[in-house]
Amino acid sequence: MSKTIMNRRTFLKVSTLAGSSLLVGCSFSSPKLVSTKEASERELGLWVRIGKDNSITLILPSAEMGQHAHTGQAMIVAEELEANWESINVVTAPINSEYVNPELFNKQRTDGSTSISAFWDKLRYVGASTRMMLTQAAANEWGVSVEECKAENGTIFHKNSSKKLSFGELVLSAAKISPPDDPILKKPNQYKFIGKSVPKIHTPSKSNGKAIFGYDVRRPGMLFAAVKQSPVFGGQVSSYNENAAKNITGFDSVIPIPNGIAVVADSTWRAKKCLEVLNPQFEGGDTKGLDSKKIRNVLISKLDDLGKSEINAEKVLDVEYEVPYLHHATMEPMNCTAHVTNNSCEIWVPTQFQSNTLEKAMDFTGFSEDQIKIHTTLLGGAFGRRLETDFVIQALTVSKALKKPVQVVWSREEDTKHGFYRPTSIRRFQVGIKGDGKPFQWESQVSQPNLLAQFVPSLGWLNFDPMTIPAAVHDYPIVPKHFYEIDEVNVTHSPVIFGVPIGPWRAPPNSINVFYTESVMDELSYLAGIDPLTYRLKFLERSPKHRKVLELVAKQSDWGSELDEGQGRGIGINEWFPINETKTIVGMVAKVSVSKRGKLKVKQVDCVVDCGIAVNPDSVKAQIEGGVIMGLSAALYEKITIKEGKVSQGNFDDYRIAKMRDSPEINVSIVESLEKPTGTGEPGSSPIVPAITNAIFAATGKRIRKLPIGKQKLV
Amino acid sequence: MTELKINGKVHQVNVEEDTPLLWAIRDTVGLTGTKYGCGIQQCGACTVLIGKRPVRSCGITLGEVAGKDITTIEGLSPETRHPVQKAWIAEQVPQCGYCQSGQIMAAVSLLERKPNPTDKDIDRGMLNLCRCGTYTRVRKAIHRAAQMMTEA
Repeated sequence: MSKTIMNRRTFLKVSTLAGSSLLVGCSFSSPKLVSTKEASERELGLWVRIGKDNSITLILPSAEMGQHAHTGQAMIVAEELEANWESINVVTAPINSEYVNPELFNKQRTDGSTSISAFWDKLRYVGASTRMMLTQAAANEWGVSVEECKAENGTIFHKNSSKKLSFGELVLSAAKISPPDDPILKKPNQYKFIGKSVPKIHTPSKSNGKAIFGYDVRRPGMLFAAVKQSPVFGGQVSSYNENAAKNITGFDSVIPIPNGIAVVADSTWRAKKCLEVLNPQFEGGDTKGLDSKKIRNVLISKLDDLGKSEINAEKVLDVEYEVPYLHHATMEPMNCTAHVTNNSCEIWVPTQFQSNTLEKAMDFTGFSEDQIKIHTTLLGGAFGRRLETDFVIQALTVSKALKKPVQVVWSREEDTKHGFYRPTSIRRFQVGIKGDGKPFQWESQVSQPNLLAQFVPSLGWLNFDPMTIPAAVHDYPIVPKHFYEIDEVNVTHSPVIFGVPIGPWRAPPNSINVFYTESVMDELSYLAGIDPLTYRLKFLERSPKHRKVLELVAKQSDWGSELDEGQGRGIGINEWFPINETKTIVGMVAKVSVSKRGKLKVKQVDCVVDCGIAVNPDSVKAQIEGGVIMGLSAALYEKITIKEGKVSQGNFDDYRIAKMRDSPEINVSIVESLEKPTGTGEPGSSPIVPAITNAIFAATGKRIRKLPIGKQKLV
Repeated sequence: MTELKINGKVHQVNVEEDTPLLWAIRDTVGLTGTKYGCGIQQCGACTVLIGKRPVRSCGITLGEVAGKDITTIEGLSPETRHPVQKAWIAEQVPQCGYCQSGQIMAAVSLLERKPNPTDKDIDRGMLNLCRCGTYTRVRKAIHRAAQMMTEA
């Protein structure tokens, strides 16, 4: 544990705000300041604010996008603070270096399933320190020692008498006390919140329409901007009919945006109507003339350039696997509200990435950090798409031109046609196995769009895409090996650039590599004539946790028991984040049925999760359930295709996602653990894909090597 | 000028009659609980009730609903006490929550038609999309609400 490091680098700052609240902050970087009464909210880096009325506001570092990060983070503080849960309110933190994510390059961002793991120590430290200051304040008040005082449910009690003082009654005196150097944290057996399925903070407001997402932001005098960008990526506007738009009631203006045009009106619908008659036309673009067939041909020819290997063995697997581009398809389309004046900039945005939003806003406006305010709304889904800032730049562009608050609203079509897609990929595997079924030669070549080159264009010359490595069996130096112990591996890859924007889609790189790895392991088990579960366990002798997860999920799913005709079971397992020291392990067994006419139904999915301490077990279950549905959706239906340089799909009628009738029974179990918590937002969505395709093979003998399953003949 | 009766209250709405109900509810009346998801009646995020019928408000114009009884998520219960809402909270259904207003309105209407729906009824009656994948909980919550409503 990093306790000593934390004590050296961390300390708390305390202050009172307008004489009414105890404010507690904590810093990992600046010099020690204690009880600075004048400290502003900003320099304090607030985490906890307790009002005289006993209300507790927690300022939380992560965005809330459905992963229940706010509830989990609040539980961690409340645990150490001994707070009354009912008195807690939460807000997403403003931009401030205090809230950076230590697991994500010290940026203020929410991804990688890190909201709990990255802030576990810090939040407990803040909660415990605050509790100790409140306890000390009560002890001082009563003239007794702190040992005689006890914090419970938002109140400090004197153990030897009936004296008690609520947190609210103590805030002013507590604010004058120095924070402890070495706050005492609770032991797991003392936990009251952690490990309990506390109802999620936002459930009521998400059940009565009061939750505010980006699309729901309303500002006095605001205008609405509908946008259209060149459907060919990187193209430019060539013409538009402004006069036609002017005839629409409520029209305000037409403003150029990067690679497109915005039309502004006094309501969302009028802006949409204006855009329709504006009828912008486009020319040029990076992907002009590109289509899915050409993309596939390039990937195949790159693969051929890498060349095939000679494998001399009796039993050889020689196969190619393929996945398509995927869209995030968040239910809330992209949007951003901005108000740029001559000397200030305020942004309301559903974003996963406040640091990047700030950087872009500073670049764009030329303002300093002090002049820019970012309000993170609730996010109507994210999955990686809201790490981008394309919609922020658009809102800034339009608001700066008009000097008014403007909300940029994307249509579903704009959202679908201007994503940052999960890359398409083709991967070849040639594996020779020995008599005992174990591989003695594992050759693999992969060809896919280069995510690194898009994120960090200056590294494009490396011709290296790290997305091809984790969660795949590989031989790259430095990068930790895959949990399956396999020797004599030789992996080569050929990154490609097509100009189609790509980005992280729930669980990169697992979303591609787990399908490949778990499919190939399954194929090898049949080639070796060994049960797929038994086969996998052969490679996990030095990975007891993975073994345990697989054994538990096998038991839970009744692995090996007889099934009706046309039914089959399949396994999928993965870990998150694959190259971290501590990680979540998720194993799944899917049960499918395939009718005589080839109709597929995923009937049941059993899941076992080892994520260290499950701070909120019901949140863990919800994340795995959601991951199963999203992965199932991708496996069965989803595919972005390119035609004449444009994305062919536009809406949910041609980008089909899973529906109620597709959803199987899902049973999630959590392995008991006292280890540090690890993330669960992502590791549920990848293993379900091979679990389904492996189950199809078990049911029918048909091996799915290309996604989506779609209308491929299964019998 | 169109007269809209939303959640029992009459609103004089001064926008073009061809405006979809969704945008009048959100932009003019100012109730933002009803969501835009697709604009082509595919996702159901904009579901409201007209009378007891579920309607995707992105696909119906003001002119068509003038004077009719419209219920939005905000009108179900002032204190989030409608049995379907209670069931949603008991089952902890929402993740991101963006589609949930529509899911709840669709469930309310399904239970009007089928007070004790089977899984198959739910498959057929609940066509709303949820990207977070809350379907299994939506299903459980509908069964729970059905039970609460029958017992009440």
